[in-house]
Amino acid sequence: MRIVPSDDRLKAARILAVDDEAANLSLVERAFRREGFENVITFLDARAALEDFATRPPDLVLLDLMMPGVDGYELLEAFRRLTDDSSYLPILVLTADSTMKARLRALSLGAKDVLLKPYDVGELLLRSWSLLDTRRRFRELPSP
Amino acid sequence: MTARSVGRRVAKAWSDLGLGAKGLIVVALPLAILLAGIGALHLSGRAEAEAEDRVRLTFAIQRDIHEVHALLAEAASGVRGYRLTGRRAFLEPYVKAEALLPTTLDRLRRTARDPEIRSRLARVDALVVLKREGLAQLAAMPGAGTSAGLEAPDVARALVANKAVLDELRAEIDAMQRREAELLEQRRARADAERRRTWILTAVMAGIGLLGGLAAAQLLFTGIVRRVRGLERDAERLERGEPLDRADEAQDEIGRLARRLVEASELLRSREAALREGEERYRRVIEGVRDYGIFALDVDGRVVSWNAGAERIKGWTADEILGRHFSVFYPAEARDETPPRLLEIARRDGRVEDEGWRVRRDGDRFWANVVITALRDGAGTLTGFSKVTRDVTDRRRAEQALGQARAEAERASRAKSEFLSRMSHELRTPLTAILGFNQLTGMDREALTEDQRHAVDQIAKAGGHLLAMIEEVLDIARIEAGGHALAPEPLDVRPVLDDVRNLIAPQAQEAGVEVRVTGDVDARVLADRRAVVQILLNLLSNAIKYGPASAIVTLTVAAGTDRVAIEVTDQGPGVPAEMVDRLFTPFDRLDAERWSGVQGSGLGLALSRGLAEAQSGRLSYASRDGRPGATFILDLPRSAPNGGQS
Repeated sequence: MRIVPSDDRLKAARILAVDDEAANLSLVERAFRREGFENVITFLDARAALEDFATRPPDLVLLDLMMPGVDGYELLEAFRRLTDDSSYLPILVLTADSTMKARLRALSLGAKDVLLKPYDVGELLLRSWSLLDTRRRFRELPSP
Repeated sequence: MTARSVGRRVAKAWSDLGLGAKGLIVVALPLAILLAGIGALHLSGRAEAEAEDRVRLTFAIQRDIHEVHALLAEAASGVRGYRLTGRRAFLEPYVKAEALLPTTLDRLRRTARDPEIRSRLARVDALVVLKREGLAQLAAMPGAGTSAGLEAPDVARALVANKAVLDELRAEIDAMQRREAELLEQRRARADAERRRTWILTAVMAGIGLLGGLAAAQLLFTGIVRRVRGLERDAERLERGEPLDRADEAQDEIGRLARRLVEASELLRSREAALREGEERYRRVIEGVRDYGIFALDVDGRVVSWNAGAERIKGWTADEILGRHFSVFYPAEARDETPPRLLEIARRDGRVEDEGWRVRRDGDRFWANVVITALRDGAGTLTGFSKVTRDVTDRRRAEQALGQARAEAERASRAKSEFLSRMSHELRTPLTAILGFNQLTGMDREALTEDQRHAVDQIAKAGGHLLAMIEEVLDIARIEAGGHALAPEPLDVRPVLDDVRNLIAPQAQEAGVEVRVTGDVDARVLADRRAVVQILLNLLSNAIKYGPASAIVTLTVAAGTDRVAIEVTDQGPGVPAEMVDRLFTPFDRLDAERWSGVQGSGLGLALSRGLAEAQSGRLSYASRDGRPGATFILDLPRSAPNGGQS
C-alpha cells in the first residue's frame, strides 16, 4: 500500500538528503524507494552535498541541521546563494532540535518546511510529495 | 540747685530744641543784641543832645544878659552924650535899647530855667524898668546940650540915681553872668559825661554784640555742626561695619537721626551676625562632608575652595591645591581635552555630569562621578563653578563584577539551553531511525508474521512512550532553566475547562468515566492557557488512569478574593498518607506499576507543578481525611472580573 498518490511525473525527481547519521539516511532512502522514488542521493558530508548541489541541482533537499563541520544553517545559506531567484527549489529541514528558535531560523534561511525528528514516515513522504508537486507546477508555468 | 545742674538742664533744653527753633535762636540772638545796642545808643544820644542843648541855651542866656547890659550901657552913654551935646543923634542907642530890651528880656524870661537866674532876672527886670524910666526922665529934662543942663541939680540927681540903678543892675548882671558861667561849666561837664557814657555804651554794645555772635556761633557749633559731624562719623563707621557708640539723647531731628543710625547699625550687625552664622554653618557642613569632594572653581577653572571630602578623595590639602587648575585631577591623556570641554558644557547648560578616571595626588587612579554646576550672580554673570566629586570606584568594580556575573550567568544559561538542545537532538536522532524503520516495517503489515506484527506494535508503543518521556524530561529541564516562556494573561475559566473536557473525552469515554464541572466557573484567572490545559489534562488523565472505571471525576472551581482554586477529585483509592511527600518527585511512581498496572514516566505531576509555579500558581494534593478518592488543587492568581481587561 503506497502512501503517496501515484504520479509518474515525480518519480524521476532528484532528491538530495544530507544527514550525519547513516541510519537516518538509510531510512529516508528506503522510505522514498518504497514509494517509487529511485533518484535519492544521500550525503553524510555536507561539503560533498554542496558540491553535488552546485553541479547537479536537485528537485528537493532533505536537510539535517545539527552536523559536525559545516552545519545545516550554513548549507541553507549556501544553497540560497546557488539558487536562481526565478526557480523553486524546495528544502525540507528534518531536525531533532525541538526548539522554536531552530525552526524559525531554518525557515528564515529559506527552508520551505520543518519536520521534527523522530518524524512520522508517512508525513515525511506526503510533505515531500507536496513540495515536489509544487515545484513541478512551478516549472510547467509559462516563463514570463 | 547748683549752677552746674542748671547749666546741664539748659544744655539739654537747647539740645532738645528743634532745628528750626535752634536756627531761629542762632539768628535772632545777635540780632536782638544789635537792636538793643541801637536802642541804647539812641537813648544815650538823646541825653547827649539834650545836654548840648542846655549848653547852647546857657550861651544864649549869657549873650542876652550881656546884650541887656550892653544895651543899657550904650543907652546910658547915649543919654549922657545927648545931655552933653544936645544932639539927638546921641539918643539913638537909647532908642535902640528901648526897642530891643523888652524882646531880649522877654526871651530871657522864656529861656531861663535856673531859679537863681530867674529871681535875679525879676530884679533885673525891675531895675531895667527903673533905668529906662531914669533914662527917659533924663532924656526928657530940659537943658540938654548946655552946661546948665549939666549943672542942674535934678539932672545931677537923676544921673546919680541912674548910676546907682546901673551899678545895681551891673552887679545883678555880673552875678547872673557868674551864675551862667557856673551853669555852663556844670552843663558842659554833664554833656561831656553823656558823650563818654555814649561812647562806653557803644563799646559795651559792640562787645556784647560780638559775644552774642560768638555765643550764637558756639550754639550753632555745639547744637548742630558738631553733632552733624558726629553723624557723618557714624555713617562712616557704619560703612566700615564698625559698631556705633551710644546715640545722641537729644530729641531734635539730629538726635532722632543719630538714634536711627544706631538702630540701623544694630540691625545691620544682627543681620550680619545671622548671615555669618548661616555662612559658617554652611561652610562647616560643606567642609565636614567626607564622602563627597565639594569645591569651587573660579571662572578659569582654578580651585578656590576645598573640603575634607575633596582632601580625602583626591589627596591634596587645601594649602597645596588652592589656586591650581583643576585639570591636575585628570589623567595625563585627558588633561588637555576633558576639563575645558566639561566647563564649556556647564557654562552652556548650567550643569554637566561626567564619569571617568581621575588621579589622586599620589598618582593612584580612581573612578569618579563628577557634577560641575555653573555659578551665576543675580545679574546672570558667571562667577565660577561648583564641583562635586564622588569616588565610585567600588561601585564601578561592583558593577563590573555584576556585569561579569551576569555575562557568566547568561553564558551558563546559554550553555544549558545549548545542552538541552543537544540533549534533545542526541535522544531524538536514534529514535528517528528506530521509530522510522519500525513504521516502515509496519507499513507492509500483510507481509509480516503475527509475531513480527506484535513486535512492530510493541516497538512503536515503547518508542512513543520513550519519546513522551524525553519530551517531559526536557520540559522539566527547560522550566528549571527558566527557558520555558509562559505568558500569563487574563483567562476565563469556563472555556478552558470546556476545552479540557473535550480533549479528555475520548480517554474518559474509553474508561467509562464522567467528567463533571462545578463551582465558580465564571471566575477569571491570570495564567498561561496552554500550561493550564496541560496541567489539567495531566490531572484528569491521572484521575481516569488510577481511578475506578465508570466513576465520576469532578472539576470544582473555588474563587477566593485574589486566588482561584481548580480542584480535580476522583473516586479512586487516593494516595496513602506516607506517600504524599513523594507525589511530586520526578520518576517516583509510588510503586504504581505494581499496584495499578498503569504505565507512566513518573514525570507528569513534577512537570505540572513546575508549570504551575512558572506562572505564580501552586499545585498541591489535598488529603481527604481517610475518605477514598484523591483531590489535586491547582491554585492560580485571580484576575479582574470580566470586562476589566480585554
